[in-house]
Amino acid sequence: MNWLVVLPLVIPLLGAAVSLIARGRAFQRGIALAGAALLLAANLGILAVVLCQGVLCVQVGNWEAPFGITLVADRFSAIMLAVAGIVALAGTLYALGTLDGGRERFGAYPLLQLLWAGVCGAFLAGDLFNLFVWFEVMLIASYVLMALGGQRSQLEGGLKYLGVNLVASALFLSAVGIVYGMAGTLNMAHLAVRLPVAGPPGLLSAAAMLFLSAFGIKAAVFPFFFWLPASYHTPPAAVSAVLAGLLTKVGVYALIRTFTLVAVQDVGYTHSLILIVAALTMVTGVLGALAQHEFRRVLSFHIISQIGYMILGLGLFSPLALAGAIFYIVHHILVKTCLFFVSGLAWRLRGTYELERLGGFYGTHPGLCAVFAVPALSLAGLPPLSGFFAKLVLVQASLEMGHYMLALVALGVSLLTLYSMSKIWTLAFWQPAADTPQSPRIAPHRSRGWLLAGAPAVVFAGLSIALGLGAGPFLEVCRQAAGQLLDPQEYIAAVLASGGYACS
Amino acid sequence: MTLTLAVLSGFLLALVVPWLPGLERRACGWAMAVLPAGLAGWFATFVPDVLAGTVVRESRPWVEALGIWFSLRLDGLGLVFALLVTGIGALVMVYSGAYMEGRPKNGRFYAFLLAFMASMLGVVLADDAITLYVFWELTSLTSFILIGYAHERAAARQAALQALVVTTGSGLAMLAGLVMVGLLAGGFGFGQWESQAAAIRSDAWYGPAVVLVLIGALGKSAQFPLHFWLPNAMEAPTPVSAYLHSSTMVKAGVYLVARLAPVLGGTVLWGGLLGIAGTTTWLVAGWWAVRATELKRLLAYATASTLGLLVLLIGLGTEQAIGAAMVVLVAHAAYKGALFMLAGAITHATGRRDIRRLGGLIRTMPATGALALLALAGMAGLPPLVNFVAKEAVFTAVWHQPGVWPVLGAIALLGGALGVAAAVRVAWRALLRSARISGPAAGKVVFQELAGPAVLVLASVAFGLWPGSLDGLLSPAVAAVRGQPAELHLALWHGPSAAVLLDALALAGGVAVVVALGPVVRRMAPVERAARFNPERGYALALGGVNRLAAWQTHALQSGKLPRYLRTILAAVAVLVLGTLAFRGGLAWGSPIQDFGIAELALCVLVLAAAVFVVRSDSRLAPSHARGGVGAGVALVYRLGGAPDLAMTQLVVEALTVILFVLVFYHLPRFGLEVGRAQRLRDLGVSVAAGTALALVVLSASAAPLDRQIAREYLQRSVPEAHGRNVVNTILVDFRALDTLGEITVLMAAAVGVFALVRLRMRETPSGGQNGDGEPAPTRLTGTAGQAASGLAGPVGRGERPATPGASSILHAAARFLIPVLVVVSLVMFYRGHDAPGGGFVAGLIAVVALALDLLAHGPDSSRRLLRADPRTLLGLGVVVAAGSGLASWLAGKSFLSGLWLGGGLGAAIGTPLVFDAGVYLVVVGMAMLIILSLAEE
Amino acid sequence: MTLLLALTAGGLFAAGWYLMMRPSAVKLVLGVALVSHAANLAVFTAAGPSRRAPPLLPAEGLPPGTATLPVADPVPQALVLTAIVIGFGVLAFTLVLVHRAYQTVGSDDLEKMESAER
Repeated sequence: MNWLVVLPLVIPLLGAAVSLIARGRAFQRGIALAGAALLLAANLGILAVVLCQGVLCVQVGNWEAPFGITLVADRFSAIMLAVAGIVALAGTLYALGTLDGGRERFGAYPLLQLLWAGVCGAFLAGDLFNLFVWFEVMLIASYVLMALGGQRSQLEGGLKYLGVNLVASALFLSAVGIVYGMAGTLNMAHLAVRLPVAGPPGLLSAAAMLFLSAFGIKAAVFPFFFWLPASYHTPPAAVSAVLAGLLTKVGVYALIRTFTLVAVQDVGYTHSLILIVAALTMVTGVLGALAQHEFRRVLSFHIISQIGYMILGLGLFSPLALAGAIFYIVHHILVKTCLFFVSGLAWRLRGTYELERLGGFYGTHPGLCAVFAVPALSLAGLPPLSGFFAKLVLVQASLEMGHYMLALVALGVSLLTLYSMSKIWTLAFWQPAADTPQSPRIAPHRSRGWLLAGAPAVVFAGLSIALGLGAGPFLEVCRQAAGQLLDPQEYIAAVLASGGYACS
Repeated sequence: MTLTLAVLSGFLLALVVPWLPGLERRACGWAMAVLPAGLAGWFATFVPDVLAGTVVRESRPWVEALGIWFSLRLDGLGLVFALLVTGIGALVMVYSGAYMEGRPKNGRFYAFLLAFMASMLGVVLADDAITLYVFWELTSLTSFILIGYAHERAAARQAALQALVVTTGSGLAMLAGLVMVGLLAGGFGFGQWESQAAAIRSDAWYGPAVVLVLIGALGKSAQFPLHFWLPNAMEAPTPVSAYLHSSTMVKAGVYLVARLAPVLGGTVLWGGLLGIAGTTTWLVAGWWAVRATELKRLLAYATASTLGLLVLLIGLGTEQAIGAAMVVLVAHAAYKGALFMLAGAITHATGRRDIRRLGGLIRTMPATGALALLALAGMAGLPPLVNFVAKEAVFTAVWHQPGVWPVLGAIALLGGALGVAAAVRVAWRALLRSARISGPAAGKVVFQELAGPAVLVLASVAFGLWPGSLDGLLSPAVAAVRGQPAELHLALWHGPSAAVLLDALALAGGVAVVVALGPVVRRMAPVERAARFNPERGYALALGGVNRLAAWQTHALQSGKLPRYLRTILAAVAVLVLGTLAFRGGLAWGSPIQDFGIAELALCVLVLAAAVFVVRSDSRLAPSHARGGVGAGVALVYRLGGAPDLAMTQLVVEALTVILFVLVFYHLPRFGLEVGRAQRLRDLGVSVAAGTALALVVLSASAAPLDRQIAREYLQRSVPEAHGRNVVNTILVDFRALDTLGEITVLMAAAVGVFALVRLRMRETPSGGQNGDGEPAPTRLTGTAGQAASGLAGPVGRGERPATPGASSILHAAARFLIPVLVVVSLVMFYRGHDAPGGGFVAGLIAVVALALDLLAHGPDSSRRLLRADPRTLLGLGVVVAAGSGLASWLAGKSFLSGLWLGGGLGAAIGTPLVFDAGVYLVVVGMAMLIILSLAEE
Repeated sequence: MTLLLALTAGGLFAAGWYLMMRPSAVKLVLGVALVSHAANLAVFTAAGPSRRAPPLLPAEGLPPGTATLPVADPVPQALVLTAIVIGFGVLAFTLVLVHRAYQTVGSDDLEKMESAER
């Protein structure tokens, strides 16, 4: 079944390439949809196989690790892949329903598929430099999507996004080179074996700081997050939703991967640093959200504070905490993507993202209210939604380990999150619409668009409820994934011991 | 299962209700009452069993990893509350039918009312702390929505938000406390907790846990200093106030305290906190009730006051105290529910809510007035109403409290008097005193609005006359709270006792207060002035402070200026890395001057000098050329380091980059633009620090002894297995071909991006909608419709273009001569790449240089003719070819991207890696040409 | 050699980052270009380069059992080559993005490009 692992790369790559060759608009739409569906199927398949058979890996080019590049899917990767697949399909549907002709003609769909390829590649990469390459694929696709359309705000936001992330890429690349210079290998499993005996530990911690900075920038943690609120509200909702849902979480994935597998020589130092970063990220993020009056900017700042929770799980570095972090990532991807979808729907109705100018939806669009309320409350951590258990696990973990301040911060931030969400609710949904709603941005005859755009939001809201009611089994999966992360022997064995193609 | 169904039924019905027709009709109140009434009846059937001591339990695992079960239990305490919730629920539903008659959005109103009832049932039946918390927050949420029913009014929105923040905020504190107890007990089941009560009470965490849990409970039950949200919550429609904010939700806190008393109770801390909070609220809220004039606010304060009494009694914890609490609970639910509904009816009929503007209702609205009078009598605790029994029980409990009875006695006297005073004042001002107000103070009250109050008043009379009938219901509750069997013997008349005396005094005092209200208020004036600094003010200040802090922080951090962002980030990086090196060690120098060469020195100086020139120059093109110098220098460094492929690639890339810079910067201005000296120095400091950090880490890494096992492996296997003598190339197209696949993907994306940037130019949409969702494209694309129609679908080129200005005849000649040569060179480079420096990338770039030359000479269209295919086709084709070569080997049953070779021998060897390299070639040509053509044709 | 190269890489980083912090978007591009050179050089240097023959083998390949490498380490070279190409793609896009931003905003002043954050 290992060949499965190649599909998440091949499907979107070929999809993008083909839609560059045959450039008909209808054809591109078809390819995008089919590709996303196939991708989801493949990723769910991988998850199923990994859950019952254990780590999957492919030695690309038949060069056994550590000489070739290995693609690995352990439980953590498999979970992330599955979620990415879900977002890919949902995002494609939403784009099909909402994206304007101009952006469609100028390559939105191939670029989205390249984004999927980059994200999946990052989740699968078992080799540090290969991880860098897939990061770049993901980033360049996101740069272009961010600016696609060429509106002033997009160009400004895109420039900031680009500028900051280029720093991250340079740091990441240098760090890879430095690690090779210390251990003479790039395969992460092999690094886990070699680094403990390679070079002075202090130097490794310094290199770890480079990873922390590089991935911290991509994950938008304090004090690196500025690019996110500067850019995520500028592209169309279809784009900002998938970026908001997936991209920062890839950064978090990379942080968790490196700081559980590669950079674990000086946990006492590095991970307590991560804890500080986590706390500051939660607080600054939520405060930022309180200061905003634009729908998507509020949501963008909330991404930051939520990232703080995930990093908190990594910093605590206990099985329960890591499980909580993974739970949190999945929950947040679903919820945040959904909220951005909803913001886009509100925009289609009123033609603005300004909370003060929105309003009155409670009277006019009960359905929209429901689709907003569920993810919003879930984000704030109200029971029995997914966000509640995600937070509960982390709070319990930090109390367990005697980090009372962190528990306090986590709870306080979730209160402020609730406050900010109910602010959106009272302004955009309860308060009577300020001025007469402008003509909808969407031509009425494209009612098909409403179905395509609404369905993903509804499904995601449902998923958040399901994750809450079914928190038990899902947390169990997360715990197993966390176990694999904390005791990487299985991962290492699967990658190194495997004689080439026929492995695990 | 049955209990779970009983809880869930409300939610299920709530999901259906909004779609039902005719909800604006009065009669639907009766229909909505069916479920609550049925549940009430069903719970009533449990009374005998519960009295017999049976406890119904249900539980199924929820989140086992955390020890969370979804479990319910029905015991004495739960039963009392369940009956209250469902019974009063039924009455309120009937009442709503009349009160909400003909209003829109009734579907959602009833749905949330039902959802609240279900959540409240969940709270009082939960047998697991987290299960309880889940329903607890659901009650806060439904209450939020119901308070904000009239959401068009800012006041309603504010009140709803305040209630939500206070209750959920305190709820989060409670959650922390519950989790701590759960960690101590190793689970969240209340049974588990009760069995380990002793251990929990002796643990160091006990103190904090109790405080946190009580914050939650007291916040929910509107206890001082978290009481202020309750009066404001009177923005809600009257049915909601009657149901949530007098008889049920606000009692959830009392319920929790009672439920946890066996676990956390019985300590000085517990009793002290409850005693202080309860007493304060009882007296303070009692006084505000006397002062209030707006009917519902007055009742709200009275409610808070009674809740304070309940909290105090549970804090005392004696059997008498708990018993008294239970009776008060029932009595209060009866008279206060009735009073709220009547107040609503009165306001509904007269359009007035201020008792100073009401009067003589007993004459103008006899039925309503009579019921109200009876209910107020109950509030005042006159015999033979059940509240009289309750108050006597209270005074008895207080009197027999060992040690503190004098203090408590005084407090009880005062509290009782205040309660009486409030009741008497309303009775006098609104009902008895003849109306001195202009206009008709009367109005029509439909029967359905009086049905609920009537039932409740009758109940309080009946229970007053035959209090013994409550024994069977309340004794098990007391037992559950005290964790030991209890016997309750209620009677209307126990014979003369201290309690009776106190009660009489309280009554007299109450009347006296009302009679002498003027002087009393004057006496209290200084106290009330002090009360300007009340907790509500604190809440407002805190919220304002947070918002100001947020604004300040965001302004400071999120300035919108990229340079500042980069400065902060790089400073952080420098601090992190240098700090780590300083405190964790790890610096290593190795032998700095190992094979140190003058050539290297010269090159490095040249490179750095060029860099400095780039930094300092202000002209337009010079710095970009100097940048090219840097690139060239670096290329030579690579050459010296034994990397000809790198050198070659770097040089060709530089050539191409210069072309791009020229094409773009042609339009850009001189950039004299600069900031002040101080800021320049700060930037310089930051960037130098960051640069130093990286230099140090790189240096230390290079000094570390390195096991080059991987490299050796490549060198040994390159020729026999990868059939190539240029190991760098075999790595790129074979050993690590996946990297290269990703690399050409990047090129593809970049090219598409450039093309789109140049061609797709949408207008900024007005009003903050910063994107062009769904707007028909042609209207949003500047330029001709033909251009709009193009995009990926249309051709790259548009219209004939003259050759680039300044294309001289020499250039023409050079082009004619050079282009074929370059094409040949490119092909050679490609073929030899596997064995000697070269390869698909370099070869492709050389071809591009040829095309670029043609473009400079004859203009874009000529070079596109030369190219023959659309660059985007080449891009796609290249990726397909590269990935396809990998899939071929995959289909051949080998791993993705593993080489398949025809013919073993070197040189002759043709294999998928070469096909892969061809893909790279195509992508490079397509990418570079797409970019160059887009720019040239702009 | 490594000392020199490390210093050069650090210098290029500093220069590039300084340029990226300038208010002028055009300098941002120049900075990006320098930084990518710096990063490539860092990778090349960290692996401990030395004056050795390029990793081009004789037709019969490398005689087995050689302890130290007879030629330069090909791995960092391959990495840097990939990085150069990626850097080129990104630089090209950055260049055009700056160009368009300049055209739209009417100035290359990054401090002026904050309309989306007001």
